[in-house]
Amino acid sequence: MTRAERLFWNVTGIVAFLVFWECLGRWLGSRVLSPPSQVLMDYFGLLKAGTMLAELAASMRQMLVGFGFACVVGMTLGVLMGRFKLFEFLLTPWIGMFLVTSVAALVPLLILMLGTGFAFRATVVFISSVWYIVITTYNGARGIDPGLLSVARSFGASTWKTTTAVVLPALYPYLIAGARIGMVHAIRAMVMAEMFVILGYGGLIYQTGMMAETGPLISLLISLMAVSLFATWVLRAIGRAVAPWYEQRTAGL
Amino acid sequence: MSISPSSPSVIAATPVRPSLGLMRRFAAAPRLVQGVSVLAGLLIWQVVSTQYSHFILPPPSAVLLRVMDLGFDLKLLTALWGSLQHLAVGFALAFGIALPLGILMGRNPRLNAAVDPIISALYAIPSVAFVPFLVIWFGLFFESRVALVFIMAFPDILVVIVAGARDIRRNLIDVGRSFGAGQAQIGFKIVIPAMLPFITTGLRVGSARAINGMITAELFLAAANLGEMMKLSARTYDAAGVLTIIIVIALLGLLAQTAIAAFETRFLHWHHRK
Repeated sequence: MTRAERLFWNVTGIVAFLVFWECLGRWLGSRVLSPPSQVLMDYFGLLKAGTMLAELAASMRQMLVGFGFACVVGMTLGVLMGRFKLFEFLLTPWIGMFLVTSVAALVPLLILMLGTGFAFRATVVFISSVWYIVITTYNGARGIDPGLLSVARSFGASTWKTTTAVVLPALYPYLIAGARIGMVHAIRAMVMAEMFVILGYGGLIYQTGMMAETGPLISLLISLMAVSLFATWVLRAIGRAVAPWYEQRTAGL
Repeated sequence: MSISPSSPSVIAATPVRPSLGLMRRFAAAPRLVQGVSVLAGLLIWQVVSTQYSHFILPPPSAVLLRVMDLGFDLKLLTALWGSLQHLAVGFALAFGIALPLGILMGRNPRLNAAVDPIISALYAIPSVAFVPFLVIWFGLFFESRVALVFIMAFPDILVVIVAGARDIRRNLIDVGRSFGAGQAQIGFKIVIPAMLPFITTGLRVGSARAINGMITAELFLAAANLGEMMKLSARTYDAAGVLTIIIVIALLGLLAQTAIAAFETRFLHWHHRK
């Protein structure tokens, strides 16, 4: 399939979806599902009012703190696990346990421990994204071609030189893929935590959900979607820029 | 998330890696190191918990006592049974729709190009954010919980199934066709068996998300079953009770993962050696 053909079907799918939604929305009424034409007007209304974007920016700033910690800790642990078996064996049972534990289930406990403020939200974000960053980095670190390492060793490269010249460049795409996957989970966790304590952007979603009209609610979801897609797109673009030759390998992650 | 032809990360990884001399001895006994790790974790928890009130962070021994409390266990089992009901219905719906749709999308590039952008866009919205909608559409109870489990598990299963359907080697289908197999035969005798490793991966990813959806629904919609017990325990500052429920949910997740992994090693060993 050519690019143009693919684009044609992309557009067809989106248009068909919007038409279907419009018809369904008009039939059900805006109390149940606002049609896209109505949502568009509500969206501009919310943009003009300003609270939507202000709340979103504030929530994302908090999310980025938790996510930043998750990146630093997750990438370090991932590399250690990939390079040293001791760390691999020490950490695998914990990773398995945390990956199957729903973070939503931890929320009541975390509120008891941390309250509902910044520490609570950053912790929820951290816990839900760090393990995905760890496993992606780990997969990258253990997949480094041993041939490359042998070449470096036989040319007398020091451990430091091997790390900076071979290991890190081979890891870049995985670090970025890990950050991308972690980011998706971080945004989910942020909204979940905020909806639980009815604060921030998640709280806004919760309160808007109580209104008689669904247009503003859909508008809030669209802004959230835009942020999530934009973050993913930026990280993908960085991945392509630093290591275009690895794109294929990490595209599916 | 975009649906790409390469296989999911679960399968890709080369196990070759160098290890330092000191580490080799540990490498010989992974089970031992893992056991020590878990014990060390429990010990740290026990020590840290002495710094906090029992209401906030109880020691593991307090949690153990809670687990031994039969009255609590009975309530827990009843609640778990209730939770499993919407988990099962939601997960079955998600899998039942994702499997045929995923195969169609994977085998038909046009359909894939048309549907993929919409699924990716919807997937970018955190599932919990749909809760207000679910309340409007399905109310606060069983139907709504099923719907949340569905929307959390469905996209994750779909991506894996699409990847699997695209991954099938052309020549397998060509061989079938040249031996005169019909569409149905190609579907059931070639496509589905060739996709089995992806189907089990989809089950694994999907079950984790579905369990997540199960407890999320009970906490965010009308409190029910395990979620209700959790909220009650939290309100009465019974942190040991909350932890016990968390452990039950984690064990449920581990059980699902282990069961699917056991199925894979038993029936799909040919794939693992690949």
